[in-house]
Amino acid sequence: MRLPRRTLLAAAAAVPTVAIAQTVTGADTRPVITIAVQKIANSGTLDPLREQSSNASERWLGSIQETLIARNQQGSLERVPGLATAWRRIDDRTVELDLRPGVKFHNGDELTAEDVAFSFGPERMFGPTLPADIPAIAHRHWPALDRVEIVSKTTVRFVNKTPDLTMEGRLSAGGSEITSRRAWQEAGDWQANSQRITGTGPYKLRRFQADNSLILDAHDEYWGGRPPIRALRFLEVPEAASRIAGLLAGEYQFACDIPPDQIGPIESHPGFEVQGGLVLNHRIITFDEHHPALVDPRVRLAMAQAIDGQSIVDALWAGRARVPAGLQWPFYGDMFVPGWTVPKYDPDAAAALVKAAGYKGEPIAYRVRNNYYTAEIPTAEIVAESWKAIGLDVAIEVKENWGQVLDHAGPRGVRDWSNSAVFDDPVSSIVNQHGPDGAQQQDGEWTNAEMNRLSVELETGTDRARRKQAFARMLQICEREDPAYIVLHQNAVFTAKPKALPWRQPPSFFLDFSARNWTA
Amino acid sequence: MLRFIALRLARSALTIILVVTFAFAVLRLSGDPALAIMSPDAPVEAIAAFRHSWGLDQPLYIQYVRYFLAILHGDLGQSMRDGRPAIDLVMERIPATLALALPALALKIGLGMPAGIYAALHRNSLTDRLVMAGAVAGFTVPSFVLGLLLVLLFAVQLGWLPSGGDESWRSAILPVLTLGLGGAGILARFTRSAMLEVLGQPYIRTASAKGVPWGAVVRGHALPNAAIPTVTVIGFLIGSLMAGSVVVESVFSWPGVGRQLVVAVANRDLAVVQVILLMVASTMVAANLIVDLLYGVLDPRLRNAVAH
Repeated sequence: MRLPRRTLLAAAAAVPTVAIAQTVTGADTRPVITIAVQKIANSGTLDPLREQSSNASERWLGSIQETLIARNQQGSLERVPGLATAWRRIDDRTVELDLRPGVKFHNGDELTAEDVAFSFGPERMFGPTLPADIPAIAHRHWPALDRVEIVSKTTVRFVNKTPDLTMEGRLSAGGSEITSRRAWQEAGDWQANSQRITGTGPYKLRRFQADNSLILDAHDEYWGGRPPIRALRFLEVPEAASRIAGLLAGEYQFACDIPPDQIGPIESHPGFEVQGGLVLNHRIITFDEHHPALVDPRVRLAMAQAIDGQSIVDALWAGRARVPAGLQWPFYGDMFVPGWTVPKYDPDAAAALVKAAGYKGEPIAYRVRNNYYTAEIPTAEIVAESWKAIGLDVAIEVKENWGQVLDHAGPRGVRDWSNSAVFDDPVSSIVNQHGPDGAQQQDGEWTNAEMNRLSVELETGTDRARRKQAFARMLQICEREDPAYIVLHQNAVFTAKPKALPWRQPPSFFLDFSARNWTA
Repeated sequence: MLRFIALRLARSALTIILVVTFAFAVLRLSGDPALAIMSPDAPVEAIAAFRHSWGLDQPLYIQYVRYFLAILHGDLGQSMRDGRPAIDLVMERIPATLALALPALALKIGLGMPAGIYAALHRNSLTDRLVMAGAVAGFTVPSFVLGLLLVLLFAVQLGWLPSGGDESWRSAILPVLTLGLGGAGILARFTRSAMLEVLGQPYIRTASAKGVPWGAVVRGHALPNAAIPTVTVIGFLIGSLMAGSVVVESVFSWPGVGRQLVVAVANRDLAVVQVILLMVASTMVAANLIVDLLYGVLDPRLRNAVAH
């Protein structure tokens, strides 16, 4: 899209004062900010246990509800005190946390240990009165949580049934947000609470209209400082062109989910910039090993070696994504396996592997969705051509929804997917999706006995060195010996805004509008 | 006449049943609501629990029979996304859609018919050609493209109007123009054709030969006779009021039934889709019925034929 410089200068000049969106009421001169997003909530609810979508609800959820242990959104997402000021290990199954004093919920109540216990209790997470999928998802987040003990008004203990070194990570992850017991019980049932959530975050819910808008007001008693913005208006604008046009016209102060090919055109106009970068999510392609051509792991490895990930990053992501070190992130800290890489791009070696495996020309279906992931179709076209170049008969099948992608009718071959680091341990990614209880194995696409044994070791082991060894071996199995998936690239997220607005995109999907991230 | 209306109503009911059945089959055979709403990353047990709680694990024919019986009992079902009654969800959005659709209909009729009449009365003139060129452009440019062009011109370049949303009455101007201009083009073409055909009839020449002023000939003889095909087209336009809003509401982020339909179809949220389809089908059926009745009012020959 090319736009006259005159118009854009005018829009840019108008934005620094945020006068477009600012309404002065009394002494409150803080601006009102409008954010155009592609999607507010996939599930039509605000409940993080129903809303299992990292690229929609994660934008705003942290503004409303918070976790006991937070992540440093201005740093590298390392763990930092949140609603808990400190935590310590009692034993391999128990973590004790000191609650931050003076934290106020949006309804005016002070945060207590009872609210914390309630947030992980049967009424909120695990009970029979909830829709059946909510306890199932809660069990995914907390597979072995035994109880939350109230030690005192400001101290709680999380007690697991089995040893688990990832408890602190789970406490910092989505799904572990703290809600007000009184607010929940006054609202009534889950359905009412799913449309109106109460938390301790810097902004409180004013109005939610599914598939249209989410309006938040500043929570002036926020423990982290008075919010710098009087109201946040998240508007759902499905079309990227409409989001960009609204931004340039000055109607929106932020336009999210900017396609990489629009970064240049937007930044070519003075006054506007596109922020963002890598997030804790990798684009992957998964195998169905039961396909006749994919039974032999050499063909799967060949398919990995046939892909030039860096070319995809350069051509389709303007160089702003990257080829990662396999299914892991430096965010894992000491669990990160140094020196590991995705299979090296080597089409000759790949073709030799295909030949050695005795591939008989069976057609392989490559199921994708219509740009559900950024640049998904062009990426698939490059990948499919790469596979054809090593002698494989691959055909792209564009599907409308996940049901069609995973449909067992017809031969399944390979399909697009992604994998996120929900918390800072490989349990959250490689075990979560490819382990024995992960969707790939549960759906019958792939399995590996050693991988399953190592998954248990990773989940319940307490020897950090052995856990790291187990993880390294899992990478070896899943990405070399018996490939379960191919890691294409690390995903990136882009947000466009006027340069004058003092805000930085965190290294995540979250749009942090707290005082920490607004420097004016 | 009563028999005529009863017959039409029976046919209408059959049409609606077929629409509902077709939509049920297509939606349920082409996607899993549990995966659409919860994403494939959700635990398998959660997806299974979701399917069970909504009866999606039952054979398809049982799901259909249950659904159909519920409709007959006046229960249009609940949204699988948030558990609210589907009819409530749709009714919340109807005002927003009508706020676009009714002004757009007025624009279609108010602009399209006079333009078509004027073009016919000035056949082969420069004005006629300009009007027809505009009409062809109006209905051949896709509403998606027209909408974005209007946004670029009036919102981004000139800054006169909002590019989207529903914040004020000004937000409705561009979507109404997008919806209305295409329909106005269609109506202009049909009106012109109908008028040209009527103007070539012997009774028009006779009236003129008898010395009736041209204006009176047009008003008294040409317009009423040209009205029948024009009314037919207006009937189609009324019937497609809600259906036509799907693309425009997405382009302009307008929170109406059209966008709701897109989201509900993507999520296979059957109850919501069915309520919207029932409304669209009912609107079309009602529009056709009214058009049929208007034929009788406009043309005594049709009225008499029905009576006999």
